[in-house]
Amino acid sequence: MTMKDYLQDKAFIFLFYGMMVVMTLLMLLAFHVNISLIILIMGIDFWFISIIEVFDYQRKKQFYTNYLSQLKMLEEKYLICELIKEPSFLEGRILYQSLYDINKSMLEKINDLSMNMEDFKDYVEMWIHEVKIPLSHLTLTVHNHKSEVSLQILEQVRKLENQVDQILYYVRSQSAQKDYLVKNNHLSQMIKNVIVKNKDYFIFHQLKIKLKDLDYEVVTDMKWFEFIVNQVLNNSFQYSKNTSDSYIEISAYENQEAIVLSIYDNGIGICASDLPRVFEKSFTGENGRKHKKSTGMGLYICHKLCECLGHTMTIESKVNQYTKVNIIFYKNHYYHMDEVTKL
Amino acid sequence: MRILIVEDDQDLCQELKLLLDNAGYDGMILKDFEHAKEEILALCPDLVLLDITIPFMNGELLLKELRKETQIPIIMVTSQNNEVDEVLSMSYGADDYICKPYNPTLLLLRIEAVLRRVHRKLNHYTYRDLVLIPDRGVVKCHDEMLILTKNEMLILKYLIIHQGQIASREEIMMDLWDSEEFVDDNTLTVNVSRLRQKLRSIGYGDVIETRKGLGYILV
Repeated sequence: MTMKDYLQDKAFIFLFYGMMVVMTLLMLLAFHVNISLIILIMGIDFWFISIIEVFDYQRKKQFYTNYLSQLKMLEEKYLICELIKEPSFLEGRILYQSLYDINKSMLEKINDLSMNMEDFKDYVEMWIHEVKIPLSHLTLTVHNHKSEVSLQILEQVRKLENQVDQILYYVRSQSAQKDYLVKNNHLSQMIKNVIVKNKDYFIFHQLKIKLKDLDYEVVTDMKWFEFIVNQVLNNSFQYSKNTSDSYIEISAYENQEAIVLSIYDNGIGICASDLPRVFEKSFTGENGRKHKKSTGMGLYICHKLCECLGHTMTIESKVNQYTKVNIIFYKNHYYHMDEVTKL
Repeated sequence: MRILIVEDDQDLCQELKLLLDNAGYDGMILKDFEHAKEEILALCPDLVLLDITIPFMNGELLLKELRKETQIPIIMVTSQNNEVDEVLSMSYGADDYICKPYNPTLLLLRIEAVLRRVHRKLNHYTYRDLVLIPDRGVVKCHDEMLILTKNEMLILKYLIIHQGQIASREEIMMDLWDSEEFVDDNTLTVNVSRLRQKLRSIGYGDVIETRKGLGYILV
């Protein structure tokens, strides 16, 4: 609030002040009042008007300047009431009170929503654990009663499991609660666990798997990481050309800053225009449209989980040639346990 | 070997028992969850498969209680797929930890591994005069001894366990993959013919018979 703004806002009142002074002056002149008395009266008028206006200007300026600058600096604007004092003048008090009430009702609303959201997340987690019981049962039953359709049933069960896992990790990647455990894990062991989990697919579809140079220790959460690799592998399955020379190759290398894991397949690939957007939520692109199977969630969740864990996920591809997903484990992001104990 | 299943889903229990019985164990099911600890101690099984979500008491607590009194091998089973629970269970003294939905073969492998660790006994499988000892990677016939590779050993073991029935190529491959040997169709053929050659040197050359389109069988 500048002086100019204030005067402009009060122009109407000043007009009346002026008219009052002029009329008083004219009346005093008409009654032939002594000129020194007129000057005295005018002086008193000007003196009080100025005092009133300067005082009013000062207290408003103090409040609004503070209010606006705090608001500007504040990232979470809704916290403004916590930072300003309730002013002494009426309009300011009205503003302050309404801000306070609006805020309160909004916060209550948000609280309700986030509580609903938490409830829903808890329910989803619980539901997932419940659904795993019949899934286990189904797997066991198929195992105990082998028949010519066992492999088909197992493949469908595996797909169900993947979908259920996807929801679980979606919920986990969204929530603030961090139920992961980051420690040193052996890369090749985690990769092998995922391959064993998907063995039916590899054998049933005669898809080859090549593992190269996976003898590294990486700092990550085992369960989350296995989920990520599982999703990437399943994408490769879905977009494989299904020919006799189809294969997936998983390899890793180390440079100064990082260990880089690559999952390569010689499948149908992703077109260049879709490539920058594959990590976006619900993005399906050309492959999704052609195959009508994609939800666009898999890579989005993987990318998000990688972010949480401090890894970086990148993708390279050429249509009809290959797709290669890289997961980069940066080295200097964490202390090693032995360094910590030394400290 | 008597294995006690502590799990509140009755259908799943029955199926697990069947799996264990088929694998040559004696599966038992815990009925009284209210006095789970006393019941387990009274039954005195060789191994316990303990679910984390059971009635009356949390599985982890039960594990903690049990560990005060006994060193029976315990494998924790859970549908809570996170590492925190896993670490907690292991720190309470579980011998292993497996997540639902589990791969049945892996479950059996884990049970076998735990039992072997606890009893320190060499497993062996016999067929006629052949004795296969997986821990040493050898097969013996009277005084003669052959050294097998991991793949050859796994194939022979699978055939011996399923003797009298045809083992399909897929089944054998599944078994190999469960042991982290990711072989393809051609490799399997090569492995089987190498195994045959080795067995031939001790006079068991024709023991593995190929049934076209079906698989292999020990004759």
